[in-house]
Amino acid sequence: MSRKLIVRVALLIMLLAFLALLPVVLKNDSIINLAILVLLYVMLSSSWNILGGYTGQTNLGHAAFFGLGSLATRLLWISGWPLALSLLAGGFVAVVLALLIGFPAFRLRGVYFAIGTLALGQILFVTVGNVLPQISALPAKYLASYELLPRYYLFLGLAVLIVGVASVLVHSRLGLGMMAVREEEDAAESLGISALRHKLLALCASAFLAGLTGGAFAFYHVGYYPQFPFAPVWTFDAMMMAYIGGTGTIEGPIIGALFYVVVKELLALKLVEFHLIIFGILFILVVLFLPGGFVEAWKRVRKALARQLKSFQSRPSP
Amino acid sequence: MLEIRELDAGYSDLQALWGVSLQVQEGELVALVGPNGAGKTTTLRVISGLLKATSGSVRFQGCDLGREPPHRIVELGISQVLEGGRVFTGMSVHENLELGAFPAKARRVRAQSLKWVYEMFPRLEERKHQRAGTLSGGERQMLAIGRALMARPMLLMLDEPSFGLAPLMVQQILDMIVEINRQGVTILLVEQNVRAALELARRGYVIENGRTAGEGTCDNLMDFECVRSAYLG
Amino acid sequence: MLGPIAQNLVFGILVGALYGLAAVGLSMVFGVTKFLNVAHGELLMLGGYASFWAFTLLGVDPFLSFPSTILFLVIIGVVLYKVLFSRMVKLPEELKIRNTLLIGFGLSLILQNLALRLWTADDRGVTTAYSGWAITLLGVRLPIVRLASLGIALVCLLALHLFLRRTYTGKAIRATVQDWEAAAVMGIDIHKVYLLSFVLGVALAGIAGTLVSVGYSIEPSMGLHWTLKALIVMVLGGLGSIMGTFVGGIVLGVTESAASYLIPGGGTYREVVGLVLFVLVLILRPQGLFGAKER
Repeated sequence: MSRKLIVRVALLIMLLAFLALLPVVLKNDSIINLAILVLLYVMLSSSWNILGGYTGQTNLGHAAFFGLGSLATRLLWISGWPLALSLLAGGFVAVVLALLIGFPAFRLRGVYFAIGTLALGQILFVTVGNVLPQISALPAKYLASYELLPRYYLFLGLAVLIVGVASVLVHSRLGLGMMAVREEEDAAESLGISALRHKLLALCASAFLAGLTGGAFAFYHVGYYPQFPFAPVWTFDAMMMAYIGGTGTIEGPIIGALFYVVVKELLALKLVEFHLIIFGILFILVVLFLPGGFVEAWKRVRKALARQLKSFQSRPSP
Repeated sequence: MLEIRELDAGYSDLQALWGVSLQVQEGELVALVGPNGAGKTTTLRVISGLLKATSGSVRFQGCDLGREPPHRIVELGISQVLEGGRVFTGMSVHENLELGAFPAKARRVRAQSLKWVYEMFPRLEERKHQRAGTLSGGERQMLAIGRALMARPMLLMLDEPSFGLAPLMVQQILDMIVEINRQGVTILLVEQNVRAALELARRGYVIENGRTAGEGTCDNLMDFECVRSAYLG
Repeated sequence: MLGPIAQNLVFGILVGALYGLAAVGLSMVFGVTKFLNVAHGELLMLGGYASFWAFTLLGVDPFLSFPSTILFLVIIGVVLYKVLFSRMVKLPEELKIRNTLLIGFGLSLILQNLALRLWTADDRGVTTAYSGWAITLLGVRLPIVRLASLGIALVCLLALHLFLRRTYTGKAIRATVQDWEAAAVMGIDIHKVYLLSFVLGVALAGIAGTLVSVGYSIEPSMGLHWTLKALIVMVLGGLGSIMGTFVGGIVLGVTESAASYLIPGGGTYREVVGLVLFVLVLILRPQGLFGAKER
């Protein structure tokens, strides 16, 4: 194993240990809730990134999977199903939706796919709001036994799972195919890579993981309107985080999610909603000037530094 | 009048021209010939400003055209008839011609220019209010040429005007080009139909694989394999 | 008997006119420049707030403050074009559309939250002395303000149509849409055409916004709602036909009204009808009802 890899794995283990011990060390509920929010966004953004960043299909209806997963999980869990099964069910329902809309949706290329999925997401959002307008509240016994800690670990575990799955997928042959489809769909087809198959697979993976995220969301919140997780803002936030961090990378969504929550918290006291304006500006700047997001910016900085170092080293000693 | 030196140009990562050089004197009718895909159209596009050269220079009447946008180059006096004519099919013949006089200088003499063009192409006058999309191939080419003339260019560049036209039509168009030249418009003619091109032009350049392979009068050009085979073939 | 159905129909037509106006604005931008500005709805919203401010701060009647609203939006349009969108001109079409879509999103986020700060989340509207007036024709109630809006929308679109068909500049714009290279080598300044089209589209959004603020209401999150309407109608009507797009707007308005009338508890499904129609058209007939077949 190369030194780089060992260092990387070590850092990863340290990070996970830190996250796992966080609530034990800091018995602060508000920090734990904040961490959960970051993890939620990491999960949502990473799952979006599989289809949007790696396969190049801008899905503007991602919230539909999130919402469906949360809906299914909530209903099942409240009616007595064990949590694990409810979560899985949430993921599977999302995949069913993905398959249903995948075939017709992928007949649309490029931007038409984007606005088509936008419309589909809206359809679900409005429909759920009509069919289930009442707030979903936890029954008394669940309320009584509500504990924050297990929920934090659920989020942590799922986040690790999602990032892990994304990572494995991306480095596999499938991942290579997906990226080929993103770069040059027609060329990929001519090489025997079935664009439709790869897009569908990416969509299903994206949907399943978003569904799980939704399930975690349903498990976490005490009371919320079933329509809420279907709201388009979830898609847009996830997408922007991926872009700002760097689409098409594993770390990108994580960095983006962290950045979003941190900025939001920093500005929350004085300038409410201002963090969204800043986010919007940053997003535009990334699209215009830095398509690889923070990850690319970091790479460029490192390159520039490396070059500087080299030029110092090659200078004759005084 | 027009001088191109050591022009390099290309599309994204693909270089298409390597050090192309040519000259056109005022009043001349110069031909640019060469096999398919050699870079003739690319050269014209660089002159017109549709494509930016990566190195080399294009000078027109002493001015460097390098950084100018296409519409400025038209104002300076160069018009191009694109490959295939490319008329605005949704508009009438008359509207197409009117639009041709877009530059301010040309707009002032629009009425006279229209008269001139209609005199030269009576067929167009007949079909004045017809939608350009309904014209035949030859008529469209006439319209495209007429439209370019409306800008009162000093230099008119034509990209394959005979392409896809019936032989009778081709002859007509070529006669028109000679007439236009006779009336004082300098012409740079790109043609795959080498025989036709060399009949009109007294001087020509051969472009092969993105490079100027040679220049000369009709007789010298016969030395080139591609020219010869096209002529005889 | 006829009463409620006819009433519903009329309301559908009246709101549909505004859908059409908004859509033509978007179509103007997208058709010429291929920029998909999804912040179109937010620009519409700004038009509404501009007339709201003119009314509440300066006491100017919204129909009279049109010139200032339009000027305001024109300035914003020029700034947005020069700062953001002009960088996208050279890109290949697919990338152009996708990048402007993304920029539009960022922009809509910024504008939405700016509106939230400046005007709070409350619904706003312009209520003039005559806001409640209506004429009743054959048992159908026609609010004066919405009738006037229909009239204004028609006038604007007719003016735009004539501009594009009859004026030299308008023809230059049409030429650029048809074949921008041919237009460029004829001396047409493509950048100016793009800028003009963009600004026209934004101005139309502003006008629509003013009409919405008078006849309905405005609030910071209305952007997405109206962008979707404009998108739906633009796709329904097909690119390249102003009147076709306008009719598409009417069709959407009437369909929504009909649906809300026919489907039990249907008022809440208005939105869905339009969206489902949109998706169907996208998949089955992407050139819209009136557009020319592209692919």
